[in-house]
Amino acid sequence: MSGDPTTGADGARALLEAVDLHKSFGPTPALDGAGLRVRAGEVVAVMGPSGSGKSTLLHCLAGILTPDRGTVRYRDVELSAMGDGARSELRRTDFGFVFQFGQLVPELSCLENVALPLRLGSVKRKEAESRAREWLERLEVADVADKRPGETSGGQGQRVAVARALVTGPRVVFADEPTGALDSLNGERVMQLLVTAAKETNAAVVLVTHEARVAAYSDREVVVRDGRSREMEPVT
Amino acid sequence: MTRWFTDLVLGVRLALGGGRASWVRLALTGAGIGIGVAVLLAASSVPTVLAERAERQAAVEPAGGEPAGGEAASGDVLYSTFWNTTYHGRSITGRFVKATGPDAPVRPGTSKVPDDGEIFVSPALAELMASPEGELLRERFPQRVIGTIGQDGLNAPQDLVFYAGDASLTEDAGDPIRAFGGQRHDRELDPILSVLIMVGVVALLFPVLVFVGITTRLAGAERDRRLAALRLVGAGAQRVRRIAAGEALLGAVVGLAVGAMVFFATRRFVAEIQLLGVSVFVSDLTPTAPLAVLIAVLVPVMAVVTAVVAMRRTVIEPLGVVRRTKPVRRVLWWRLVPIALGAAALLTQAGAFGGTVSSGSAEIVISGIILLLLGIPVLLPWVVERTVGRLRGGAPSWQLAIRRLQMESGTAARVVGGVAVVLAGGIALQSVMASAESQVMDQPAPEVDRGRLTVSLQQTTPELTEQTLGLLRRSVGVERVHPLRTVAFKSGEDYFSATVGTCEVLRTVATLPSCAEGDSFHVASSSGPRAGHPKVDPGRPVKVFASDQEQEPSLPWTVPAFTEVVGPEDDPMKVSGLIVTPSLVADLPAEVGFTRVLVGVDPDQPDIAEHVRNALAPMTWRAYTSYFGEVDVSDRVKEFQSIRQALLAGSLLTLMLAGASLLVLALEQVRERRRPLAVLAASGVPRGALGRSLLWQNAVPLLLALVVAVGVGGGLAVLLLRIISQPIVLDWPGIGVLSAAAAMMVVVVTLLSLPSLRRATGALGLRSE
Amino acid sequence: MSIGHTLLGLLEKGPRHGYDLKKAYDERFGHDRPLHYGQVYTTLSRLLRNGLVEEAGVEAGDGPERKRYAITDAGVTDVEHWLGTPEKPEPYLQNTLYAKVVLALLSGRSADEVLDVQRAAHLKTMRELTKRKAAGDLADQLICDHALFHLEADLRWLELTAARLGQLKTAVTR
Repeated sequence: MSGDPTTGADGARALLEAVDLHKSFGPTPALDGAGLRVRAGEVVAVMGPSGSGKSTLLHCLAGILTPDRGTVRYRDVELSAMGDGARSELRRTDFGFVFQFGQLVPELSCLENVALPLRLGSVKRKEAESRAREWLERLEVADVADKRPGETSGGQGQRVAVARALVTGPRVVFADEPTGALDSLNGERVMQLLVTAAKETNAAVVLVTHEARVAAYSDREVVVRDGRSREMEPVT
Repeated sequence: MTRWFTDLVLGVRLALGGGRASWVRLALTGAGIGIGVAVLLAASSVPTVLAERAERQAAVEPAGGEPAGGEAASGDVLYSTFWNTTYHGRSITGRFVKATGPDAPVRPGTSKVPDDGEIFVSPALAELMASPEGELLRERFPQRVIGTIGQDGLNAPQDLVFYAGDASLTEDAGDPIRAFGGQRHDRELDPILSVLIMVGVVALLFPVLVFVGITTRLAGAERDRRLAALRLVGAGAQRVRRIAAGEALLGAVVGLAVGAMVFFATRRFVAEIQLLGVSVFVSDLTPTAPLAVLIAVLVPVMAVVTAVVAMRRTVIEPLGVVRRTKPVRRVLWWRLVPIALGAAALLTQAGAFGGTVSSGSAEIVISGIILLLLGIPVLLPWVVERTVGRLRGGAPSWQLAIRRLQMESGTAARVVGGVAVVLAGGIALQSVMASAESQVMDQPAPEVDRGRLTVSLQQTTPELTEQTLGLLRRSVGVERVHPLRTVAFKSGEDYFSATVGTCEVLRTVATLPSCAEGDSFHVASSSGPRAGHPKVDPGRPVKVFASDQEQEPSLPWTVPAFTEVVGPEDDPMKVSGLIVTPSLVADLPAEVGFTRVLVGVDPDQPDIAEHVRNALAPMTWRAYTSYFGEVDVSDRVKEFQSIRQALLAGSLLTLMLAGASLLVLALEQVRERRRPLAVLAASGVPRGALGRSLLWQNAVPLLLALVVAVGVGGGLAVLLLRIISQPIVLDWPGIGVLSAAAAMMVVVVTLLSLPSLRRATGALGLRSE
Repeated sequence: MSIGHTLLGLLEKGPRHGYDLKKAYDERFGHDRPLHYGQVYTTLSRLLRNGLVEEAGVEAGDGPERKRYAITDAGVTDVEHWLGTPEKPEPYLQNTLYAKVVLALLSGRSADEVLDVQRAAHLKTMRELTKRKAAGDLADQLICDHALFHLEADLRWLELTAARLGQLKTAVTR
């Protein structure tokens, strides 16, 4: 660590930065000094064995969890200083989420699922649904728009989830094992669509995965082991 | 048979085998069914309570029958007189007795016949007298307390009863008591009141059964997954059903045990409490055997049947639960059958309970009520499905709730079905009660006048009157005393009475132009019970009743010439008819007639009535005091009010039960949908929006339930009012209150489920199982 | 890889010039090591000699590159036979990576360090392959995937090793 902590080695300003995070659930520490720096538009893979604290790190970065110690800054604002409501709003407007499974509201149609974050941000229903439809088309799942998530295949569901994560034009997309429940072909396709769309909208992606082939879609990787993280600069 | 048994046992083991979660579920089920069972057990004890009371009531009544010829020779007897007084609005009743010898009958609950100056008191009265609140009461019972009246001599534990010896009792009044143990009279209730009770019992107990049925189906999704796993290892559909039945049975049995425990644990405290004027002995609160058996059988059977019926729609397949994506649209026609049958049954009874004696069949009325109320939970799923299916658009929280209901509205409809039954029953009850009230309360309540008391004397003698007046004059707060004597006479076939008092006294009860000793007046009454009554003719010879016991009057008297006057309006002590000054009745014996003393008191003196009553304590049974500051109501009204209060208490209890089941459902739904909720919260959906969606999810079915309840309840009210031949008026304020209570309940339930939503939407909810 | 069988397989679609064959081969299989012309012609003449291909006419002009070759029935049978014969699975029982890890442990150095550096290197290659896959056609995707899966296998072994490091350390230093 040297110099201004908000600037990376290459001098680019960090969009999202976590420093020295500690977090315990009961007696076992999940994070023990982990940190991470995400620059605008880059794809960072967070790798590491199961139980190493990858997901906890992601939850802290996204402001879902508050670390016991350490700071998370997003655009120079410290997340822990924000109230629950403000963090919720931040997550809704600036962040997007893709999880392994079970993220779509089972009762809403796919289109309504994608439109949901827009509507919560008080976009008119028509407008929200037309934008949602565009994203479904972009992710090649326009045909399931009116189906419920339970009636779609796993790959289609994940693409709908990606569409929902990106529909608000987030600055950071958090993806926690987004292909974990998919076969290789569907997984590759979802990753390709996610990364391409993110690059096109200049959204950063924090990608938690234990699969190297998925991590290969990233620009660089961070290894988490025993609650500590190690940022690997790209090998040149 | 053994296959059956092993399958059931396997179901039980599966229900228990899920670790902490399954224990929590079992506890919830047990608690839910337990509460219902406890309520049912309490209800099934009511016949015992009533029977035991009637038994004891009869036991302390004097034995009836004609006095045997040689009564003096046949043994010792008890002379007794009934007396009651009021203390701070609570009625205290009892007897003063005098034994003619050592073999006089001993009242049940007491050890001996009290001698002069001795008294037995009920435990509640003893407690009241010992308490600071009973300070003034102690003066009224100066007798030596020689014991408390045992349970076998009391109706209810909180009754205020005394039994005192008094040597001053005269031996001529009334029949002496030769033995205790009177005829048991079963209470012949007013038909309107019995219809009220029928509606009440059905409306209160039916939702309990609905609740029990719902509780056995908690955590349906989890159970379905478990049973799917069983199918995977090769259990047949039939066996899976039996295993599911085993699970349900476990919950029901645990619920029965919990219910019995709750019932017997709370029963121990029942004698201590007095709820709305009703208190019950612990040992009285014993379920009757047939009803107890019925509960013990009905609850498990219902649990198993609902579990198996529930699986009819959910095909449990080896690879998980295949729910038909488009559930079968519900059909309307058969859902209307119970309502139609119930309405028809009640129509046949129209007017049957209209008179003072019922001519109808209670069975038909009860089955009609049951059918109508049963129609609600049967009809509601259809109403909810169709209505929700039509709803579109709205805010995201609304959309979330509606879509959820569109996908699965059955459970919600069933739960609010219970609430709707309570509401419909309540609406019908309120309407019938409001209507009955107008009939029962036909006499306007006497006006409250805190400045007046009346003392009625049991005997009319100049000495007694003087003694009373002396005691009253010495009492604190007494401003005026006006003795009045009423003499009853018969002229031709008509009965009349003359009020006797000095001019000073008469002026207070009538507006007199002038008055001198020897004058006589007649107060015309344009209203009231005596309006239009034939007038007496002056100068006519009539016969005066010498005593209460006389069948025909024997004393000759002549009606004096009188002046026609007008009595003061709006006076509760208004006197009408003939009023005369004492010299005009001087020919009649001084013991003739009935004496009362009008007492003017200082209304600002605290506890004035108690002070006056205490001042009259030496008179014991000879004087009754009624205070116009306390509204006195008739027994019929009292009975009505106690039924109304009991029903209100019951409605509240059942509504709470329904609220509890709503809460259980809400918690269950949050638990079942933990992951999507957690993801939504993680993606920045404000918790407020999720909470609102929860609120809508509870409120929409409840609103529909309310509509159905108002419809069916109103219809039921109309049918019942026809049965008791009352004008058809719905009690809209009552409906409003019940609806508001239901709305409140939704809000409270939602608020109570918010902590669980908060937990579910934490980051831990994101962890996969 | 058997160049002869590969060329035969390419000829199954129709007769080609030697030059076309080389280009087709390079496109699909020769990303790292393109074929020399010499290799192509040596192989083709061996196939001619064995009766697996035949000359299918010569175009105007001169030079050996103007000859067109076609596959014979025997050639087709041979390709089928080749495709039907399983390749011998080659276990990498001894490999530099393994040696490095064990040596790092023996010498008391951090094996984590070795693993992380190696992972970074692997991922760098995998990123390039992933990018090329995204830009390329089906053949590109197939060959990149082939490489990616192998590299991933290496990494999975690395990760497993990382997880077992504690056990391994006690074993080798005993």
